[in-house]
Amino acid sequence: MRAELLGRVSEQPGRTGLSETRLAPATARAPGSRVLVGGVGYSNLRDHSAGLLLLEWLGPLGDRVDVEDLSYSPIDVLFLLQRREPYAGVVLAAAVARGDAAGTVRTQRWEASSATAEELQGRVAEAVTGVISLDNLLHICAHFGALPSDVTTVEIEPAEEGWGPGTSPTVTAAFVRAADAVRREVQRLLADA
Amino acid sequence: MCFKNLPVEFDESGKAHLREGVRDPYGVSGNGHAASRDDRIKELLRRNGHIKEVSIDPVTRVAGALAFHSVVDLQERRVEDAHSMATLFRGYEIILKGRDPRDAIFISSRACGVCGGVHANASVEAIEMAFASPPPSMGVVARNLGQAAEFLYDHPLHLYLLAGPDYSEAVIGATNPEILKKARAATAKNSHVHGFSTIGDIMTALNPLTGRLYLEALEETRRAREMTVLVWAKYPHPQTIVPGGISATVTSQTLNEYQTRLNFFMDYAKKMIAIWDDVFDFLYEVEPRFHDVGKRPRNLIDLGIWEHHEGYDATYARANEWGERRWATPGVVIEGDLVTTNLHQINAGLEEFVSHSYYDDWTSGNGHRPFPTDPLGNPLSPYHMWNKETLPRPEGRSWREKYSWSTSPRWDRQVVEAGAYARMWTTACAKKLPKNPFIESTGTSMRMTLPSVGLPEMTVEWRVPDELNAIERNRARAYAQAYTALVALNNLLAGYELQKQGNTAVSRDFEIPKGERVGVGFWGAGRGFLSHHLTMDKGALTNYQILTPSTINASPADPFGNPGPYEEAVMNTPIIEEFPRGEDFRGIDILRTIRSFDPCMPCTTHMYAGEHTVVREVNTCACILEDEGEPVPAGAG
Repeated sequence: MRAELLGRVSEQPGRTGLSETRLAPATARAPGSRVLVGGVGYSNLRDHSAGLLLLEWLGPLGDRVDVEDLSYSPIDVLFLLQRREPYAGVVLAAAVARGDAAGTVRTQRWEASSATAEELQGRVAEAVTGVISLDNLLHICAHFGALPSDVTTVEIEPAEEGWGPGTSPTVTAAFVRAADAVRREVQRLLADA
Repeated sequence: MCFKNLPVEFDESGKAHLREGVRDPYGVSGNGHAASRDDRIKELLRRNGHIKEVSIDPVTRVAGALAFHSVVDLQERRVEDAHSMATLFRGYEIILKGRDPRDAIFISSRACGVCGGVHANASVEAIEMAFASPPPSMGVVARNLGQAAEFLYDHPLHLYLLAGPDYSEAVIGATNPEILKKARAATAKNSHVHGFSTIGDIMTALNPLTGRLYLEALEETRRAREMTVLVWAKYPHPQTIVPGGISATVTSQTLNEYQTRLNFFMDYAKKMIAIWDDVFDFLYEVEPRFHDVGKRPRNLIDLGIWEHHEGYDATYARANEWGERRWATPGVVIEGDLVTTNLHQINAGLEEFVSHSYYDDWTSGNGHRPFPTDPLGNPLSPYHMWNKETLPRPEGRSWREKYSWSTSPRWDRQVVEAGAYARMWTTACAKKLPKNPFIESTGTSMRMTLPSVGLPEMTVEWRVPDELNAIERNRARAYAQAYTALVALNNLLAGYELQKQGNTAVSRDFEIPKGERVGVGFWGAGRGFLSHHLTMDKGALTNYQILTPSTINASPADPFGNPGPYEEAVMNTPIIEEFPRGEDFRGIDILRTIRSFDPCMPCTTHMYAGEHTVVREVNTCACILEDEGEPVPAGAG
């Protein structure tokens, strides 16, 4: 009775539970023609939410561009990227404190660094326990071959660490430059695709 | 009589009262710290080069941040001293004060990035008690299905991604190469289930980032999350859990889609049990000292979880009845014996101390308390959550005074620990499980029949162990996966039956009361005990207190001089690790001990031994601690 309820798939005496896993360190897949723009960060964390809030400043970017809030576990972002056709390029925006003057906008082509296995393991552990982080997202997705070769980060140096909606005047003022940077990168990627 | 320390007695009808003639029944004097202990440790460190201070900061997987300090005698291979430090202030209790009670469901859910659903459920039950608004049967079933799915994510996460790597080829090879050598030659007795020929093969598959079991678990987190989203509509912080039920629709299609995913977890649980039984039995055999790694007395607490859809009415008055009808039975185990399954008694025995925590004592010292009794007249301590006030007071770290943001929760003034294994333990001993075709509570074990899916039907039995240590905590977690999947199956069948009867309502109207009310959510996380206590008046929260499993397990010493569970378990842990020189010491036995509790903290563990940086082991933030006035780098790396 129980087996019927569960829908018996097959009963093969002696069959073991070893299964094939699709997750494995891999090389990047062949690029497609679309571009992904993602905002990364926690909501309602003042300047640290700048990556998400920036998305509202971008305006229309064209039919070949997906604009998404990627503020969830990097593992879930990994699954999302694996499910989709490969992107021609990805632009990720986030607030990241790197010691620059508040409001600084940094636009960089992301190069996969040689993170040690221990570092990567730490990043995965953070990801599965709920930490949202641009660096973790980049390293994990790159490790599992889910990122295209062309990835740009647009980072804004935060000023305030408090919680609540909105951003500080300094970071709000930086949105114009950051949005310009995202649009420039999108145009470049679309032209190359 | 379940209490032996608190002066609480029961009359013939079972009603509790304070023993007469006790002048100060809940009195506490001093903070329990023996200055001689400090002096002894300082002297040991001064005289012996082989005795080192080992700080692990941060240790992960607590709701907040955890660091761990220990003093290890590398020559005698034992831990001389241990302190558990929660290094982050949580503050939800303060955020929630004065708010609409319904906000608590969504705000408290944010206390954890791993399992926000458990807080939402604990919160909604506290609110339902205060509002007198129980959900309809299908609402209960839907909550249970989502909650089970959340645990189906949580258990593999612990066993394969967080604690599991401690038993991998990479770690065992680095810390105990002789054991790895034996593992490679040891046949795996459950090979016919999991497919690995030797223990060494399993350990290879446990390797982080590359091992088959590690990668499979990472991938399967998606399936469990999908199941949660099917019934709760959104995760990690569900918005559909509301007083009086849930606000998502549950249809036959919902149940069918849930079932197709649940099928997978039946086989996954079979393999999980087979794998971990093989690994742990092997380790006991080749190194009997594993029996002592993480050992502490068999004192456990659990509040039960998963309401029975025909039993739950959200009243405090009947909490004992509906508590004992749950799919996991509440209980307290002292020295291996189940002393109560009564939620009123469990609640009345709870106290939270702050003698070594960064909070001010909120009690007036004259025994006055806002709630001297619970709604039934059972006496409550001034240190009980309904009487507690959160008064944070950050200051420098001092082992003699304050060193943690965690409080010291105790039951009947005894150190109890929380975990999935506590849930298994109380349920196995109580023999009160609802009748069902899959799970049997025998009094000494849990016998579970996992249906045939890809693998044949299999009956597995988790036996209550006669010791509590790191291995048994983890082993029970593997069996908890089967238990959880079968609870989900029972609820799925109940859901189908309710559908057939036309009982499809998932929620019921409620009103927010304007008078003074109290409520408590007796619930559990994947890693055990979880309670939310609230008081409200004029439609707003006047107090809200969250007690998590990691608060219990990571607690610092109490005012009676008892160390917290992590501290005690680490101090009982022998150093099995092989290391040629002191600076090569990695502290894996200490880490195995701490991780076996499944602390919940989304960051990374660093560790240093004096000047020597050792590892970035798990996950958390770096902090600077004040060491009695001297700033000390808390963790390099």
